[in-house]
Amino acid sequence: MSAALRRPGLGIWLRRLAAMTRKELLLLLRDPVLLFVIFYGFTFDVYNAASGVTLQLKSAAVAVFDLDRSAASRELASRLQPPQFVPLPPLERGGEGQKLLDRGQALMVLSVPPGFSRDLAAGRTAPVQLQIDATNTALATLGYADATQIITQFGLEQALRRQGISEAAAAELPQVENRVRVWFNPNQEDAWFMGISEMLNVVTAFAILLTAALMVREKERGTIEQLLVSPLSALQITAPKVIAMVIMIHIGISASLLLVLEPLFDVPIRGSLLLFALVTTLYIVTLSGLGLLIATLTRNLAQAAMLGILVLAPMMFLSGVWTPPEAMPPAVRMLVHISPLYYYSDAGYAILLKGAGLDVIWPSVLGIAGLGVLIVASGLSRFRRQFG
Amino acid sequence: MEAAALVDVPAIVARGFGKRYRGRRAVSGIDLSVGRGELFGLIGPDGAGKSSLIKAAAGVLSFEEGELSVFGQSLAGDADAERIKDRIGLMPQGLGQNLYAELSIDENIDFFAQLRLVPKAEAARRKAELLAITRLERFRDRAMKHLSGGMKQKLGLVCTLIHEPQLVLLDEPTTGVDPVSRRDFWAILGRLLRERGITALVSTAYMDEASSFHRIGLMFGGQLLAQGTPEDVREQVGGTMANIQAPDSAALLQALGGRYPQVDRLGTQIRVFIDGTREAARAGLDPLLAAVPGARAEYDAPDLEDSFIALARQRGIATLPPPAVLKPASGEAGEPAIVCEALTRDFGAFRAVDAVSFDVHPGEIFGLLGANGAGKSTVIKMLTGILQPSAGRGRVAGADMRSAGFAIKERIGYMSQAFSLYLDLTVEENVRLYGDIYGVDRRRIGARLDWVLDSAELRAYRGERAARLPLGLRQRLALGCALVHEPRVLFLDEPTSGVDPIGRRAFWTTLQQLARNDGVAILLTTHYMLEAERCDRLALMYAGRVVAADSPAGMKAAVERESGVLLALDCAKPEAARALLERRGYAYCWVYGAQLHVLTPQPERDLAQLPAWLDAAGLGPARAQRRSLSMEDVFVHRVTALEAADRKAAKAA
Repeated sequence: MSAALRRPGLGIWLRRLAAMTRKELLLLLRDPVLLFVIFYGFTFDVYNAASGVTLQLKSAAVAVFDLDRSAASRELASRLQPPQFVPLPPLERGGEGQKLLDRGQALMVLSVPPGFSRDLAAGRTAPVQLQIDATNTALATLGYADATQIITQFGLEQALRRQGISEAAAAELPQVENRVRVWFNPNQEDAWFMGISEMLNVVTAFAILLTAALMVREKERGTIEQLLVSPLSALQITAPKVIAMVIMIHIGISASLLLVLEPLFDVPIRGSLLLFALVTTLYIVTLSGLGLLIATLTRNLAQAAMLGILVLAPMMFLSGVWTPPEAMPPAVRMLVHISPLYYYSDAGYAILLKGAGLDVIWPSVLGIAGLGVLIVASGLSRFRRQFG
Repeated sequence: MEAAALVDVPAIVARGFGKRYRGRRAVSGIDLSVGRGELFGLIGPDGAGKSSLIKAAAGVLSFEEGELSVFGQSLAGDADAERIKDRIGLMPQGLGQNLYAELSIDENIDFFAQLRLVPKAEAARRKAELLAITRLERFRDRAMKHLSGGMKQKLGLVCTLIHEPQLVLLDEPTTGVDPVSRRDFWAILGRLLRERGITALVSTAYMDEASSFHRIGLMFGGQLLAQGTPEDVREQVGGTMANIQAPDSAALLQALGGRYPQVDRLGTQIRVFIDGTREAARAGLDPLLAAVPGARAEYDAPDLEDSFIALARQRGIATLPPPAVLKPASGEAGEPAIVCEALTRDFGAFRAVDAVSFDVHPGEIFGLLGANGAGKSTVIKMLTGILQPSAGRGRVAGADMRSAGFAIKERIGYMSQAFSLYLDLTVEENVRLYGDIYGVDRRRIGARLDWVLDSAELRAYRGERAARLPLGLRQRLALGCALVHEPRVLFLDEPTSGVDPIGRRAFWTTLQQLARNDGVAILLTTHYMLEAERCDRLALMYAGRVVAADSPAGMKAAVERESGVLLALDCAKPEAARALLERRGYAYCWVYGAQLHVLTPQPERDLAQLPAWLDAAGLGPARAQRRSLSMEDVFVHRVTALEAADRKAAKAA
């Protein structure tokens, strides 16, 4: 008996790992629904985010209630033009503007009072009223900024004209010129930012939900017991799922970058794809620990998916992608550091858009690794305690 | 059936009924009529087509072939079905499937009453009555999820009956329920039917429940093989069962020489089903037996399971495995392969397993019996190392599984209730996966794959995904996977749930060969009492304890010693007869279908006396017959006695 009780050799250990990994990949490949979801997530979903979501003001409906009906008021109104604005037909009665705002049919209503041109001509301050629907604060802020700039410019031009300064003379006046250099995304293409952001989110979602799903499925079908009775360690049961997922996600990322973002949106890939792949692998392993934790806390696929979403939502809020950490309340700003996505998106943007190397992104890598050790260790220990 | 004659229209009529799923024919050519007031049982394994017929009769499943009508209303279209829905009640398959787990018994019943628009006062009256009959009153505040399987099914029945339907359709209401609760369920249903004139179409996978029904339909492979009263069906099939005892079973099998297609091994007996009368059977078999030293045959009428298998064989829709050729038993030699020493497991305050001790030797098939929650699976989980014992020790192959290294794990095989296969992997991939996991030598793995494919007859399905296999084959594949590394000890947790009788027979042939010829120690749990008869030794568990442990014959003998011999009484009113005998001091009587079964310490005297008493009380004409105890009788007797003792103790406290 003592001869038979030898520790299994490395060869057997690796063979078990390989057999289990093969099994996970076969099961993934034979699940058409899951495959479709993965394919959709990395292609169509990223495409939609890159093409559809923009952070600039586009086609905001604006209505003008012109009581002055003068050349000056018409000129002011005519400056609210596409692409930022879409002018609505001029308003005839007082209440109409309010109605449009209430129904959400207009973002802004500009009211020009009677005597606007007379006041301008007399050199007096000529007030106009701008009402903004701030239900969507981001949109309202953008609309406010753009409209204010247009109205201020108009006011400045009127003032200069009244001072008798011709346009040629105006050009000679002293001015501060703000010369902006936009780095990394010179045309400020939202598609670059949004597309990559969505891809990182998809990686995050799959890394957590897929691990949890693969694990819970074994629990639901009862196959987990069969594995526990067999000579497999907890690591040999869990690691193959992570390996299979790493492979699937890397294929997905390749599709995202090489089939969608680069050819369709001209996203430049400036850094090393190998470095990005390595960081991504580290990130997936970290998140798979979360998936494992979820799987030990739930009994079936539905519960696992719900809990997964509950974990995902704050991770994305805290990632700094939607709101920079500097803009968060101090307490929340601290929490950012426990969101692995915060480090991963920092590293991801840096590698892909800035061409940064390990010398630049090492703090983020360290952050992911640190969290990873903690999360994976607690996931494995819970798994061992539940089943071992 | 008397009731049926009074009313012109039968409750259910099917003519040439057939149903396809995605072009595949599930059921076909069913002709059947269920009279009013009748309890009609569809009996057959999973996939026989029972559910399709029941769902179609409930108007919740459309069908393609033939006609089906309920209370004279054709169910050809969806609108037609709506017209009869207030007169029928359907209880779908699965424990508590129509109930809400988080709601209490009370709330569940109220919900169904409101759903069916039963007036409040009327609902309260019916609820009180039904709760009394099902003896669920004491638990009315308990959430459904905390009820036992048997109680869930009784609650399901109450909820199905709350709107007083004229026809109830119950799809496998007793599957997964222990024998005591099963018997209780049928007794309650029988009483409700008699008292209220309801009609019932029910289905079951348990052959031994047939006697609970007025008429039965045997279903297999989408066909109705036979129908009639249980006696009718047995007579239609005919045949004779020869139970042969021979010291050298291998010589006996050789002498039979494949002349008989339906041969089976039960313990030390070889059982041969012979088509034809007893005389013809004797004339054919006796000369053959003369050539085998010490062989002795007893002739008997076949039981329903034997008849069922014979029917399927005669129709050519099933082929039977040849019986296992076994080495002669060598007696209990060597160290036991499995040892439990006061094994105990607590879940919080609840003691699931309480000081269980037994051992299993190499070459032995040991069965753990018990109701749901008696602790059978927990014992297996502790022995295989899935669960940590709270106290005591379990040793397998000489080692404690908790602390044993992987080398010990490589020596055991395990198959769970769920047939833990990967359904999206093919037959071959499943076998190879477990071969790799168990570190089977690479050169050996091909040979083991061949062995599994041959012994489980899976060669034709080699590249087929496990999900596409019928249940019986899936089970054999799971067994193959559990055996790929040639373990010395095999654990089987309810390995045959839902598998048809022919599949079960093939499965047992394999188990017998493994145990006897290869010296594997086998520990299994089961709900099928017919299967328990095939074990070498049994332990009966109740509330976490082993309350009896012996061979099947020994267990039966113990009951006969303690409580008496079984007499079966045919009489007109079994319920009233039971009340009468209980008053006269017979503690163990129960209604069994149309019969009353009684245990008596003085069978010779009572064979004459009991019918005389019943005749005198106007419950006759009565006839008594001596019967041998079945394992189910033993189980129900033991557990019922223990439950009664528990109730007494609870009352005293």
